Amino acid sequence: MRRFIAAMAALALVAAGAACGSSGDGGTTTAGGVAKVKVGIIPIVDVAPIYLGQQKGFFKTRDIELTMESGQGGAAIVPAVVSGQFQFGFSNITSLLIAQTKNVPIKVVANGVASTGVAGKDFGGVVVRKDSPITKPAELAGKKVAVNTLKNIGDTVVRESVRKAGGDPSAINFVEMPFANMPAAVDNGQVDAAFVVEPALSTVTAAGGRVVAWCYVDPAPNLTVAAYFASTKLIADDPDLVKRFTEAMNESLAYADTHPDEVRGVLASYTKIPATVRDALTLPKWPTEINKASVETLAKLGAQDGIFGTATPDLAKILP
Amino acid sequence: MTQPDTAARTIRGGRAALGLAGLAVLLIVVEVLPRSGLVSADFLPPTSRIVAALGAEAATDAFWLAVRDTLTAWAIGLAIAVAAGIAVGIVIGAVPVLRALTASTVEFLRPIPSVALLPLAVLLYGSDLGSTLLLVVYAAFWQVLVQVLYGVADVDPVAEETARSFRFTAWARIRHVLWPSALPFVFTGVRLAASVALVLAVTTELVIGAPGLGAVIAVAQSSNAIPTMYALIVVTGLLGVTINLAARVAERRLLSWHQSVRGEAPA
Repeated sequence: MRRFIAAMAALALVAAGAACGSSGDGGTTTAGGVAKVKVGIIPIVDVAPIYLGQQKGFFKTRDIELTMESGQGGAAIVPAVVSGQFQFGFSNITSLLIAQTKNVPIKVVANGVASTGVAGKDFGGVVVRKDSPITKPAELAGKKVAVNTLKNIGDTVVRESVRKAGGDPSAINFVEMPFANMPAAVDNGQVDAAFVVEPALSTVTAAGGRVVAWCYVDPAPNLTVAAYFASTKLIADDPDLVKRFTEAMNESLAYADTHPDEVRGVLASYTKIPATVRDALTLPKWPTEINKASVETLAKLGAQDGIFGTATPDLAKILP
Repeated sequence: MTQPDTAARTIRGGRAALGLAGLAVLLIVVEVLPRSGLVSADFLPPTSRIVAALGAEAATDAFWLAVRDTLTAWAIGLAIAVAAGIAVGIVIGAVPVLRALTASTVEFLRPIPSVALLPLAVLLYGSDLGSTLLLVVYAAFWQVLVQVLYGVADVDPVAEETARSFRFTAWARIRHVLWPSALPFVFTGVRLAASVALVLAVTTELVIGAPGLGAVIAVAQSSNAIPTMYALIVVTGLLGVTINLAARVAERRLLSWHQSVRGEAPA
């Protein structure tokens, strides 16, 4: 028994040491000129370029050692970047605009992901069950539509699709649910429709579901959907690191955009998307340039839907 | 002594067989339900597909790394909680004034669900091991502490008085009277804490993406890899069963001299 207690005490000591060691070392530790960088991402198709770029050594040649941190979705990434736990983060544009109206000190450093701009061949859309009476965007008015986050990019673009089709956007009944739950919710009729992105989009269409609105295509041509950002503090303190990250990111985006097969390959490394879906899903576009006009459109739509409160987002402060 | 021993073993063997039969029925139900079309096989894959997904997972290094991460967080968290729970429990339990002083605080802090501390954990440690440990320790600590407090309160007053009249030092009284008599309670606390620690380890990983099985389940979920998701959930269940069995065996071995365990055998 005495030995048991001694072992327990020793374990506790080791644990206490480990716990102390792991806390609070979020800053950029530069060892031998290599910057250790944590990037907050969501493990979805959108971030394939950063994984591909890491694999191809685009970051290593610029003395950046990447660690991807997948937190609890986009909402948790912004605070972690501001507090310095992550150096960079990935977020959709509307969330970034919301953060800007709240004067959160962050700024975009590289493009993230964009719509293909082609209806019928995009990575996000509103889906319905195969026997659903809904066939056109305008018919979504008065229906129950699932989006992954309320008062964000999803409901904004769905409203725009309905508005453009001549329906009443204020009559849509939005409910919040994770993307992963949407195929089941559409299938068993919990919701009439759902705004899904890949791989859920392919999952639904493979089960016979139909896409009734291409919501990333409708608002603006080649809509920029998301971007990589950093805290303004890091941008001021270590402009060289930010510059290297932006360069590496741009190289990764350009490479991913021209090597779709390698993108499908890299998906297997950080997601568990089944091989059949991986080969069939529609990849987004990864241009290096942010489409400023489309960001303005998202800002205008957000303001129209009242998601910024009384504030108006200042694009000059959030975009590079 | 041999006769009741074999009898007990037969009963235990019979129970194990029944338990396995129950599990087999469950597996068959899960196989048949989706195949009969009562539930969609897309959302509840049949057992055979789950097992196949489990096999595919078990062949990857990433899976075993995740199991290791989860078990590391579990073990370290449990060790801290047990050490702290025993130390604090004995000190509080042995000093009546402290007990009265802390009673309301303990009763206030204990029911706070560990999961409610998630935002705090993210703030302090991000999505690292530290977050998992914070939640695991918080949840497991109370299980141990409360049992130790009961154990200390349960000491036979006559033994305690006798020790006093023999002028045992405070340490000797703890070592020779209080500790042996509280030990079965301590073990109950450790066994409860071991299960709770696993629940919290997986929960934290699932919600904030700290490395481990929970994080892999979240990735499988967002990838719509439904059979893999079920397979990983089954793994967490298997870990739970293993931990509980190990705790029971350890309890029976280490406390074989104690009345509470000795009394169990003939029953």
